[in-house]
Amino acid sequence: MSKSLEANVDESKVLGWIKKIGTEPSASVPLLQEIQSEYGYLPREAMEIVIKNSAITSSQLYGVATFYSQFRLKPIGRHLIKVCHGTACHVRGADRLDTSVEHALGLKKGQDTALDGSYTVEQVACVGCCSLAPVMVVDDKVLGDLTGATAKRALKAHAKENDEKLQN
Amino acid sequence: MLKIRVGEGTCGRAAGSATVLELLMKQFPNDKITSVGCKGMCHREVIIEVEDSSSNKKYMFGDLTNKNVEQVVKFLKGEGQLPSDLIINSSDESDTTKFRYLSGQKRIALRNVGELTPTSIDQYIERSGYEAIKKIFNKGMSPDDVINEVKDSVIRGRGGAGFPTYLKWQFAKGAPGDTKYLICNGDEGDPGAFMDRSLLEGDPHNVLEGMIIGAYAIGANHGYAYIRAEYPLAVKNFGIAIVDAKEKGFLGENILGSGFSFDIKIKQGAGAFVCGEETALIASIEGQRGMPRLRPPFPAIKGAFGKPTIINNVETLGNIPWIILNGGKEYAKYGTEKSKGTKVFALAGAVKNGGLAEVPMGTSIRDVIEKIGGGSKTGKPLKAVQLGGPSGGCIPESLFDTIIDYDAINATGAIMGSGGMIIMDSSTCMVDLAKYFLEFTQLESCGKCTFCRVGTVRMKEILTRICNGEGKMEDIDTLEDLSSKIKTSSLCGLGQTAPNPVLTTLKYFKEEYLEHIKEKKCRAGKCKALITHTILKDPCVACSLCKSACPVGAITGTPKKLRSFEINHETCINCGMCVEVCRDDAIEVK
Repeated sequence: MSKSLEANVDESKVLGWIKKIGTEPSASVPLLQEIQSEYGYLPREAMEIVIKNSAITSSQLYGVATFYSQFRLKPIGRHLIKVCHGTACHVRGADRLDTSVEHALGLKKGQDTALDGSYTVEQVACVGCCSLAPVMVVDDKVLGDLTGATAKRALKAHAKENDEKLQN
Repeated sequence: MLKIRVGEGTCGRAAGSATVLELLMKQFPNDKITSVGCKGMCHREVIIEVEDSSSNKKYMFGDLTNKNVEQVVKFLKGEGQLPSDLIINSSDESDTTKFRYLSGQKRIALRNVGELTPTSIDQYIERSGYEAIKKIFNKGMSPDDVINEVKDSVIRGRGGAGFPTYLKWQFAKGAPGDTKYLICNGDEGDPGAFMDRSLLEGDPHNVLEGMIIGAYAIGANHGYAYIRAEYPLAVKNFGIAIVDAKEKGFLGENILGSGFSFDIKIKQGAGAFVCGEETALIASIEGQRGMPRLRPPFPAIKGAFGKPTIINNVETLGNIPWIILNGGKEYAKYGTEKSKGTKVFALAGAVKNGGLAEVPMGTSIRDVIEKIGGGSKTGKPLKAVQLGGPSGGCIPESLFDTIIDYDAINATGAIMGSGGMIIMDSSTCMVDLAKYFLEFTQLESCGKCTFCRVGTVRMKEILTRICNGEGKMEDIDTLEDLSSKIKTSSLCGLGQTAPNPVLTTLKYFKEEYLEHIKEKKCRAGKCKALITHTILKDPCVACSLCKSACPVGAITGTPKKLRSFEINHETCINCGMCVEVCRDDAIEVK
């Protein structure tokens, strides 16, 4: 993982969210959601600001951050690909989308982000578009009725639009 | 004057509804064009419905793209023929049997979805919206009157467990305390279900009104709408609904001058299947890890922040305003003796017409799949249906005549569940499916109970071994033994039901397990370790599509040179990409 993907945390922004959402323990999930929607993951620095300025303890915050699958502790690439692995997608060939995306990004086993920091791919439980299965979501765009080949084509088009390069 | 409704649920948007909407607005600047929720026919998106008030005709078009929508535009302007491949239904069509997707349904919870603009409170009000609340206050219905009306409807919780809704409300109403909470459970985590998404996206005011009625019945002044973060459109539309309802006085302090106050906050779920369980959901709202706790005390007595709390499913709440307005007895006219009303199902998988369907209880599974769903999508024979997701089970084709009824479905070993209906054809391997669900539950187990935490991992390992052709005969006994232990030794529904997919596939498809173990064979061609891909020389036309699709370069051959194509089994990873692109059925999977 290249160092450059790590975010520069703006303390005043984090303090602003704490002010808006609250300092009580029940604010933990929405605070982490706000941080992640800004930085794409949960930078340690931002979590420390929350702990210092709220009634949320470090064990609670870290516990919550590692419990819910939405949260990531590692930085992600510039674009996020979510390959849906809901039941409908599974029976209609989600594994072929995985193979296709991994190949296009040149990912080795255990890797989830392209070396140039362009794309991160993750497998998600269900995005709720089951009748369009198999589905993947690139940034916030839902693409449905894919095959291995059309998934790759869609990714190529996305890369071209966003000035990114694919490995294959 | 034309009235055009464009389906803009998540599925419509995925299919490109925004460009279609834009184009129509440009072409018909003086007509009424609205963006509405999903009509349920996700397989035909982008869908538009047109009402022509000058000719008094109605049309429904589907499969629209930014290109072919021009044909529809020309037709509507009287400049072209009716585009026959895009028309789904029209008022000219007298033979309704041809179009059974909607005619086999009874839409109560979904009555407004696809009919109105979800973000318009005025359109909701036009369609009798908030009339149920007005009825309660104008007629002076007491909380007990409301509960009795719901009792008459015999509605049971639509989230899966099927607990009588009125009874839950009665417990919470009777619980001592001034502060009570009503929570709407929109954490639809079951992979393969999207009923709640559609309802929250497409008719948020209906769910909101259901929440207000429930809160009034139990005496709650605070509410939470717990919605999955994976449903951004639902979160957005529900948020707008809250603001608008407050402005009109249906929500907030002293609702409609009744003296009753109720306020709602949205909490976004952060991706944990176990949070569908009541006590885990409460922990999550409190900002903790979503782990269930022992009941009693039940949430109705001691729930969120230690106060009496009721958690109702989105679909349950979506039925409530209709029940209050039309009477519980009217609702109970639909359904079977013990399961009343309607149920929404999300049809997906190997079915032709994937989407949402709301049917009266008592309809047979076969009718839902064949009449509404249109049968097999691929032409391959249907094999089974999975109901209730990871907590549910498989029902084989031979039992498709089972009716939709809590008890009838339980008798098969599956459960009604929240409404996910995944239809499978002969290309689905039942052992692989069981493995898939165990992988899911094992990942989602919160880890509190040992049997659920460790037992599901062991089951997954055994199933993986069987799929890899390394299974042993005693594995089946071990699976059954672990299943019964996990079921009895887990605190919450996740663990108690996690073995169901394995138990039902073992019950109905044992021969597939035996084939994997004894013959090292996967009849569905799914388990990669047990199959090989071979190019058949005769049907192959040497088009080279497979060669370019292969991600590992395992296919060799010269384009246009017949009989030259071959797969190198050393490098082939059996991903099946070649099969997907081959137009001539020239690749054999064995």
